[in-house]
Order: sequence, then C-alpha cells, then structure tokens
Amino acid sequence: MNARVDLPQAREVCPTTTRRLIGEGALLVDVRERAEVAQVAFDVPDLVVMPLSEFEQRFAELPRDRELVMVCQVGARSLKATYFLMYQGYTRVANMEGGINKWASKGFPIKGARAGASTPAAVSGCCGTAAPASAAATSCCEPAPGANTASGACCSPAAAGSGSCC
Amino acid sequence: MDIKVLGTGCANCKATIALIDQIAKAKGVAVTLEKVEELRDIMGYGVMSTPGVVIDGKVVHAGGVPSRDKIEQWLTA
Repeated sequence: MNARVDLPQAREVCPTTTRRLIGEGALLVDVRERAEVAQVAFDVPDLVVMPLSEFEQRFAELPRDRELVMVCQVGARSLKATYFLMYQGYTRVANMEGGINKWASKGFPIKGARAGASTPAAVSGCCGTAAPASAAATSCCEPAPGANTASGACCSPAAAGSGSCC
Repeated sequence: MDIKVLGTGCANCKATIALIDQIAKAKGVAVTLEKVEELRDIMGYGVMSTPGVVIDGKVVHAGGVPSRDKIEQWLTA
C-alpha cells in the first residue's frame, strides 16, 4: 500500500505572505467543508474549495506547476493537506498558519453570511475563541505532543464534515 | 512483528493501541508496538484518516478503530 516517505518540515506562511503569493499567482486551496465555506470564505480571485473529506479522491486536480497555499479554519486541517500533497510529490505547496481566523483578524478580505461582523469571533468556528496569539495549540483537538506547528488534528476527514474546526 | 499506530493521541488512537496490545498478549504473539504521533511522521505514510496501522512497514489500515477480527488476522500472519 503506502510506501513511507521521509517528509521535510512543511513550509508555513502567514496571511500577509499569503496575500503576496496570491498577487504573484498562487492558488488558495480551502479544505474546509462546504457548509463552513458558505458561512464565511476567503475573498480572493483565485480559490479552489476542496474539502478534506474529498481530498484524497480529488487532489490530482491541483496543479503541480503553480504555487499552492493551503487554508482552513485555524491551519490544522490545511497542514495535514499540505503534508499529503508533499507525500504525493508536490513541491510548490505551503500551509497558511492561523487559517481564516487569523486572516480575518488582520482585516483581510472575507465574504459570506458571517462576513458582516468584523471581529475574529465571527469566524472562529467551533472553538468560539479569537484568533490565537501563537502558532501552537490552535486546534480544538488534543494537541500533538512536541508539535512545533499549528497541527494536532486528530479527526479523520469524514469527521470534519460535522463542522468541527479540527 | 513491528506494529506502528499512527495518530495524534485522540481516543480512537488510544483504543487501537489498547486493542492490538490486548489481542497480541492473548494470542502470545511477540510485537513491538509503537505510537507515531507527529503529524509529519504520520503523513510520511500518506495516511489522511487516523488511526492508521502499519505492520512491518506496510500500511494495513486507515480510519477508525480496526475490528477485533481484522487485528486477529494481522496477528495470525
């Protein structure tokens, strides 16, 4: 089945860098479930919605020759998707730390039913907290011990369909 | 038999380890059971759904706690 690959540490970029990369032609890939995206979404010209629950089946739709920035609610699911793409041989991929929570807290463009409120709480999802101050322990799941990135997602992609921020 | 359980420490991952340990002991099969909890290491096997189970380097299961029958089959190899 799956051969083991020694993966390097995933590239992580902040929302500000993400905006710059988008300006340079990068594609934003939102791995939240569709119900979450309907509530609030990134308002950028080039965006693909590919829920984590569909990711394994659809990832090949993503271009290999273009910079990809993976995003989600807090940066946990998108980190998993980032590593998955790296496992599949993608080299031009990075995770946006902090997710749409951090993006919105910086006043960057969002749209959707909940976009009217400007506070981070409006886009904080199931955790109901403001955008995290640090990159660590931003997931509502048990944090991975020794993790030095915004990881800790313990849920399977199917579980993410329940609207959790995992 | 080298068995690795991939998962970041959620309840299903703990249940999987406990179940494998219990069945291995009951059958008297010698196994080295190891937890792989770092996301980067887990994803090194390309496993999106955890818990995952790797036996002697091969991924045999991904997603949810494996059934008792399945574990018994692995340990009967």
